[in-house]
Amino acid sequence: MSRDADPAPTGAGVTADVLVLTEVPAAAEPDDVPALPARRRRHWWALVAGYVATVFILLTFNFAIPRLMPGDPIDALMAFGSPTYVQDDETRAALAEYYKLDKPLVTQYFGYLSGLARGDLGVSIFNNTPIRGDLGGKIGWSFLLIVTATGISVLIGIPLGVHSGWKRGKRTDRGLLAFFLAYQNLPIFVIGAAAFVLLTFKLGLFPYGGGSTPFNDYTGLDKVLDVARHLALPATMMGLDAATYQYLVMRSSMVGELGSDYLLVGRAKGLRERRLKYRYAGRNALLPVVSVIGLQFSLAITSAIFIERIFSYPGLGNYMFQSVAVRDYPAIQGAFLVLTLTVVTVNLVVDLLYRRLDPRTAA
Amino acid sequence: MKRLVSAVRRSPLLATGVGMVALVVAFGVFAPWIAPYEPKEISGEVFESPSWSHLLGTNDSGADVFSRLVWGTRTTLVVAVSASALVLAIGIAFGLTAGLRGGLVDMAVMRLVDVMLGLPVLPLLIFVGAMIGSSLPTSILMIGLFLWPQTARIVRSQTLSLRTRGFVGIARGLGGGPFYVIRRHLVPALGPVIAANLVFVAGVAVAIEAGLSFLGLTDPAAVSWGAEMERAMSNSNIRFGSLWLWWLMPFGLALTFAIFGLSLIGVALEPRFNPREGRAR
Repeated sequence: MSRDADPAPTGAGVTADVLVLTEVPAAAEPDDVPALPARRRRHWWALVAGYVATVFILLTFNFAIPRLMPGDPIDALMAFGSPTYVQDDETRAALAEYYKLDKPLVTQYFGYLSGLARGDLGVSIFNNTPIRGDLGGKIGWSFLLIVTATGISVLIGIPLGVHSGWKRGKRTDRGLLAFFLAYQNLPIFVIGAAAFVLLTFKLGLFPYGGGSTPFNDYTGLDKVLDVARHLALPATMMGLDAATYQYLVMRSSMVGELGSDYLLVGRAKGLRERRLKYRYAGRNALLPVVSVIGLQFSLAITSAIFIERIFSYPGLGNYMFQSVAVRDYPAIQGAFLVLTLTVVTVNLVVDLLYRRLDPRTAA
Repeated sequence: MKRLVSAVRRSPLLATGVGMVALVVAFGVFAPWIAPYEPKEISGEVFESPSWSHLLGTNDSGADVFSRLVWGTRTTLVVAVSASALVLAIGIAFGLTAGLRGGLVDMAVMRLVDVMLGLPVLPLLIFVGAMIGSSLPTSILMIGLFLWPQTARIVRSQTLSLRTRGFVGIARGLGGGPFYVIRRHLVPALGPVIAANLVFVAGVAVAIEAGLSFLGLTDPAAVSWGAEMERAMSNSNIRFGSLWLWWLMPFGLALTFAIFGLSLIGVALEPRFNPREGRAR
């Protein structure tokens, strides 16, 4: 971070500021910032084709992996002594029906696809319930967590990034940059676990995990507050994690705007600093960050898995974790499929939206 | 080596990173001499507080936490080295092939890279780990198989720009075969760029392996930082007293330390060797 030590302007006043501003682009890009995601000009149909290929790979993966396990998946699932051992003919029949193991592979594959098309995800061994119903109850919680976390990250990352970029090279900028660069290296489960133990158990500031108080009979506002209290810490930890990248991209994008002519003109017109900073430079610098926020969805799913596990948050990630703990294979498959298909679908939507926002990426 | 030493002298960032990583490596290599106990040895009561005989107390089975921390370094080192070696091998193979052959091969490889980059890696690794069974070798293999696309992309773009440079053309014109050109000209020129990427990959691999262990996806007998954190988090005693300070936190801090060291090196190497980064946007 010592590398971006450009000479701080001595003395205030318009002339000094203008000088600094025009000097900026000549200086080498100092940022220890990850390069923006490479975007090439591609037709929308190329994006959609890539999406279809990805979905196909994920579906095939989900189909093939259980069948690559030694022996027959159901034997492996129901072997005596395995954690999922069940002496239950009904479950076995349901599983055999789902996997259709006595049919040839091609038939199995098409059976699997048509089952999926009807929304059939099989039966959980551990709970002995249809997985679709189990997952349905979890998606809402994960959605709430991710949306709140994204909101928090935007509120942290963008204003700080704008400020830092505007004050480039000054003390606040260096402090913030050092903080976020260091924070970027903290794995989310390390900082998440530390925050959980410290703030809930040691300081008693937050409830002991979960999405709401068990067996409560809250109604109306009390219910909302209860959910919000449970949501606050996990969402903040996730939000901070996502904010680091937004901050870094916002800052470097902001730095890129600093030398622009329109700022010089604005300054010459005597516009106020705030207006130049937010309405002019900030708004122009926003575009790369918008695309980053969208691309971060895949990252959000990853951090949600850890955060939900740490805070026992009742979402998809925790469901997946618990299914892994008891090796409930059909449940893992179902959760995996829903998680991954959501990620790639959101990525496609973001890509298509981004093309509308920025005509340069449209072919 | 000489170049490395002079580079370290010039950049405090690189020096710090190299120092941090060297410390981690030293702990891993000299684990038997540093750790006072065997990692699984029951050397005291359960949940002892730190003392001179147990610097970080003992865990739920009465094993010395400090010894487990030191021995766990080895797992981290093995992951960092072998996963990045795997990524390097696959990434170079695909990247060089795409860059040198061009045309249809290039297009096919790059489409594959695009698709792979769009895949959510962690859910995939959890899925495969849970299904096929998790152990350190499978985790490393899976991490290698999913992290190569970025490396391949970098190798390809560098190869493309190198291919058109004069010295490669001259070597070819003088009758140098493809392997000669790769060995004599491409590999040395690619080296620094790949080194920066590889250091990042090592950091990511370490974080992913620890994360998988943290989710319980590892060999239960293994001694690793992530697995020990998982053990601490699953133990309800972690909420009492200051147990978390010496059972949970040291492993998280060690992990952060290793990752931070690697990423400092990566950051320090990147702008110097990447001609594109050096220019102002």
